[in-house]
Amino acid sequence: MSHPDLTTGIERLVLGEGDKATEVAALPPKKNTVLVSHGRPPWYGEDGQRICDAFVIGVAGGSASGKTHVARQLVKKLGSIPTVIILSQDSFYRYHTPEELALAHANLLDFDHPDALDMPMFAACLADLKACKQSNIPIYSFAEHQRLQETKYLYGATIIIAEGIMALVDPALRALYDLKVFVQADSDLMLARRIKRDVTERGRTVDGVLDQYLRFVKPSYDNFVRPTAAHADIIVPGSNNDVAIALICTHIRQQFQDRANRFRAKIAIPHLYVPPKSRSGTSSPECKLEDLDLICLPQTPQIQGILTILRDRTTDRQDFYFFADRLATLLAERSLEFLPFVSKTVSTPMGVDYHGQEPDLQYLCGVTILRSGGALERGFRRVINNAPVGSLLIQTEHETGDPLLLQAKLPDFVRQRHIAEKAWVYLLDGQIGTAAAAFMAIRVLLDHGVQEDRIIFAAFLIARTGGISVLRKAFPKVRIVCAAVDDRISEGWIEGGAKPGESNRTKVWLIQPGMGQIGDRYYL
Amino acid sequence: MSSVPAPAPPQPANHVNTNQAHMNPLPPSVFTLPQTAQLEALYTIIRDKNTSRGDFLFYSDRIIRLLVEEGLNHLPVVKKTIETPTGSTYEGVGFQGKICGVSILRAGEAMEAGLREVCRSVRIGKILIQRDEETAQPKLFYSKFPPDIKNRYVLLLDPMLATGGSAIKAVEVLMEQGVPEERIIFINLIASPEGLTTFTSKYPLLKVITGWIDEGLNEKAFIIPGLGDFGERRYCV
Repeated sequence: MSHPDLTTGIERLVLGEGDKATEVAALPPKKNTVLVSHGRPPWYGEDGQRICDAFVIGVAGGSASGKTHVARQLVKKLGSIPTVIILSQDSFYRYHTPEELALAHANLLDFDHPDALDMPMFAACLADLKACKQSNIPIYSFAEHQRLQETKYLYGATIIIAEGIMALVDPALRALYDLKVFVQADSDLMLARRIKRDVTERGRTVDGVLDQYLRFVKPSYDNFVRPTAAHADIIVPGSNNDVAIALICTHIRQQFQDRANRFRAKIAIPHLYVPPKSRSGTSSPECKLEDLDLICLPQTPQIQGILTILRDRTTDRQDFYFFADRLATLLAERSLEFLPFVSKTVSTPMGVDYHGQEPDLQYLCGVTILRSGGALERGFRRVINNAPVGSLLIQTEHETGDPLLLQAKLPDFVRQRHIAEKAWVYLLDGQIGTAAAAFMAIRVLLDHGVQEDRIIFAAFLIARTGGISVLRKAFPKVRIVCAAVDDRISEGWIEGGAKPGESNRTKVWLIQPGMGQIGDRYYL
Repeated sequence: MSSVPAPAPPQPANHVNTNQAHMNPLPPSVFTLPQTAQLEALYTIIRDKNTSRGDFLFYSDRIIRLLVEEGLNHLPVVKKTIETPTGSTYEGVGFQGKICGVSILRAGEAMEAGLREVCRSVRIGKILIQRDEETAQPKLFYSKFPPDIKNRYVLLLDPMLATGGSAIKAVEVLMEQGVPEERIIFINLIASPEGLTTFTSKYPLLKVITGWIDEGLNEKAFIIPGLGDFGERRYCV
């Protein structure tokens, strides 16, 4: 569904830590941009609820005043903010009637009037993004002068910059901004830039540009745009604005620091609740197995035998792979018993009716938590052959132990909010130890509108004394299906350094007796 | 060739047997799958005469896997202590005894793919039994078994247990090969109460794992409501 060559398409750039400044400077001057640096740390508390909104900046100013430049300079100067979305008002031009379309192609439609924009939709999309929900923003094609059928999916921004000449016009939009910026440039400077841009880049004639300027651009600026400067928190010059940008960045950093200080204590990092090693093996009252409300496969001789093979360190990869698939199939069969069913009557080839059942759901999809959730994917496929399967890449940051969301590739059923609200999601992970990844994955699904009681989480193994009790309290309606529950979790070391040149050992939480690193054993 | 494992007492099935709508009580050697709404939905798909062949294959395979998993639970296991990759010791169990599959041609072959998904590279023997035109009795036309079959547990595969005639004949052939009755596990998707009664009264020690017990047989000895001819629907010939 992506259209990388559309002028309004949103590019997604992944930047490394060190090269951010140079990369941003070299960005092509496209309007909508998603910038991703390192992963996204938890944005929710131990109760599972979101603890802060995204920070929203509105940047307004005349056409060719330098708004885009200011937005980009902000991103560049801010440095290592996880995810920034630059949202252009151009995406929100209205859907045109055939009459308007004819005018537009004759260059007679006034695109510089506030009514040309779908302000309620702009505000709705921005409000969703601010509330850490997904948004599917419209795509407007300047070539066709029309809003396209497709939309662009956005999710997970820490900072959103909304820019456009009318960005400060609508009161509903203004209410969403944490910081309002007006970029001020002299009219002659803006006109000079406009003539240069339109003639060299868009192949217009000087007469044409001047005609459009006098007919639409100038009155619009005087009547609608310039007066909104009164709403701005800060007015930035359209050129030589390094000092102003530095001031704004200082302000934003201060805001972030304040938030971080306020919320740090609340952020959910389930491994902090893991009891110390010395006490491992003893059951503390808050994590009794029966209180955890887990659905464990019946411990038949076959399940016990499969688990013994999977736990055995001498099991080779081929056997591990085979028995993991077999166990994953049984987990999927057990998990999907929780789907709703309704009566259905069919006619058999014997010519008699049979009163049976059928699943009563429209949308079912899988989401794998990479890597170890991949070990459950084949089993799911053997049970459900036509469901889309997405993935979430969640890794632990080695310095802090925080989980980081590195990538979210979610199925369309989840991306579209109105479908997500009806969808059943089968979430797959190898094991739940600290529960940090499970916590984040469930929060991502809830952010998208998936209902908590329609999430079924499947894992081979759960550590009873790990983060599961925090997870259970935060999300009591999620069904959690597993093959076994182990008593202990402890800190240990595994081979394989995080970065080259460092020690070859990484500190991790290990379930005991456990199965080792499921992802490694399945894939490496 | 390893020694013959002692015919250990059969392990109890873990699932509560609830499918007693058409047969109550069940013979003690008969086990069904847990009768969940999901299982019923699988049967609804494969019974529907309008189901495509692709769906028939996919959903019947799901049931067959569950049946084989349940059948394997009747095999013996032994205590086994292992070390995990995290350095802990774990008291688990190890599988004991060699197995093989035997499919009753032709429909039984349709269950082999599902069997192999659960038991990798398992040996599979075959039996062809047809009705003798003169006597109207089932007659053995062909059989081929692994040479050491008498040392193995046998999973006997036939999707439909109707009158029980060919299944009884197949067990007869297996016992002639030296396989003790209690080491055979008969696996089928749908059984008739008549067939179960006949079969289990002849072989009371032989475990029968069935997915669903239907109403009964019609005058042509087809299972009602059933699903038609399993082999025909599976192979489309």
